[in-house]
Amino acid sequence: MSIIKTENLTHLYSQGTPFEVAAIRNVNLDIAEGELVAIIGHTGSGKSTLIQHFNGLLKPTEGKIFIDGKDIWQDKATLKETRFKVGLCFQYPEYQLFEETVYKDIAFGPKNMELSAEEIDKRVKKAAKFTGVTEEMLEKSPFDLSGGEKRRVAIAGVMAMEPKILVLDEPTSGLDPMGRDKILNLIKYYREQTGSTVIIVSHNMEDVASIATKILVMNEATFLSYGNVDDTYSAADELLSVGLDVPQMTKIFLELKKRGYPVRTNIYTVEQGVKEIQKLRASL
Amino acid sequence: MIRDITIGQFFPGNSIIHKMDPRMKLVLTFLYIVVIFMCKNFWSLGLMVASLIITVALSKISVKTILKSIKPIVILTVFTAIINIFYVNTGEVLVKWAFIKITTGGIFTAIFMVIRIVALVIASSLLTYTTSPTLITDAIERLLSPLKFMSNSVHTIAMMMTIALRFIPILIDEFEKITNAQKARGADLETGTLIERAKALIPIFIPLFITSFRRAYELAFAMECRCYHGGEGRTRMKQMKLEIRDVFCGLFIMLTTVGVVLLNINFTAVI
Repeated sequence: MSIIKTENLTHLYSQGTPFEVAAIRNVNLDIAEGELVAIIGHTGSGKSTLIQHFNGLLKPTEGKIFIDGKDIWQDKATLKETRFKVGLCFQYPEYQLFEETVYKDIAFGPKNMELSAEEIDKRVKKAAKFTGVTEEMLEKSPFDLSGGEKRRVAIAGVMAMEPKILVLDEPTSGLDPMGRDKILNLIKYYREQTGSTVIIVSHNMEDVASIATKILVMNEATFLSYGNVDDTYSAADELLSVGLDVPQMTKIFLELKKRGYPVRTNIYTVEQGVKEIQKLRASL
Repeated sequence: MIRDITIGQFFPGNSIIHKMDPRMKLVLTFLYIVVIFMCKNFWSLGLMVASLIITVALSKISVKTILKSIKPIVILTVFTAIINIFYVNTGEVLVKWAFIKITTGGIFTAIFMVIRIVALVIASSLLTYTTSPTLITDAIERLLSPLKFMSNSVHTIAMMMTIALRFIPILIDEFEKITNAQKARGADLETGTLIERAKALIPIFIPLFITSFRRAYELAFAMECRCYHGGEGRTRMKQMKLEIRDVFCGLFIMLTTVGVVLLNINFTAVI
């Protein structure tokens, strides 16, 4: 069943001025429930604009957007509900922390949902567990934490709303490899545990390849392709032609193929690479 | 919304007005503003408007942009006009109904005021449209340099102004980002009582302040790394020099001023 659906979604910035520019144009999407979709594309390809439509922060200039089968702009009063259904976590979310304690900050979303005190407490603890925020950290001021910890607290703040769809904009940017792995694993774990749909925007092809089930490639205000990871990376030439990168593993096998070795090119993780090389060695 | 404000914006260009010495531009803009308050009748005001139109034409800034600068003051202007129409009771009576009395004097004053305010705003926005903020603060610093013997903070103040101006767009950007992030967590900024709305701003202003402090620290470090130690003994990459065109522009405004004085004497005052 499709959870996010868009019909001819178009968004123009500075409409009616000489500076008018289309951030996204005629996007028709259909994302099924439970997927882990990665959105890749250049800066300015419309990724951020697109995800801000999912929870009604931006109003489409034209076209419609359905979340869970409902047109979110049909009744403005339900907009807040949509925001709880679609949890959006922006890039560098650590700069949105403001409360005295980590606990209170994570509780900000659930509190806005007007839940009971016990329910809020339950959700905060649960989100903290998902993100690896310890009991001891919950009582600290968010400003005393390290960068990676702050990031996890901010993500917990969105997860605590228990959205059906979790959208994360560049959740790993600016983190060291260890922090990056931690965040990616917790996102994967969260999806497995809750069955929610997760959408992440990323620049890092390796990240995307390791966790996504589907990839949405954006280019110049519209989407280039939407399909599973295998299909997307087997069309590596197409990605490279619009100036996007592919995982280093894929590059190696593309080059091997070019030099005449009989290898597959839809390879994007180290494990797959090892297998393919072993197969190649056996055949030689 | 917040981005639509054009006052203080700079539109790079290559016109004579852009190239003018910023010190001259600053002084002449001030002079223009003073003179526009000296105008006593429509003839002298007309001369001021004419010289403004010439300047705008020379600057090659589009009429649309110029009109945009008036947008924020439309309400103020209309309000001033209405007040003047009802409160000035000189001249012939045109309409008299109950306590309302509209006279020719009132209407003339209203029109006069509107033209004056609009010309004032256009003149000052023309300064910022054609001069980059750094040049403006540079010019202020140099114009104030005679005060150096009193205190050595002239440079500091100018530097502070430059930095403040430079950070306005960044902070606006930051404000929008944080607002969106909190909205995404269900923060309600649009409904509720005044107190509730004020409270709803806390989740936005705390992160905004923290970010500003962080940026301030980073900038201070960056400046120290480049051996910044205040204005003492500091030389400049770009020297400001008065050129022929600056003298001409100066003469142009001077002539306008003389014209205004003469027209004020020769024709009866309206205001």
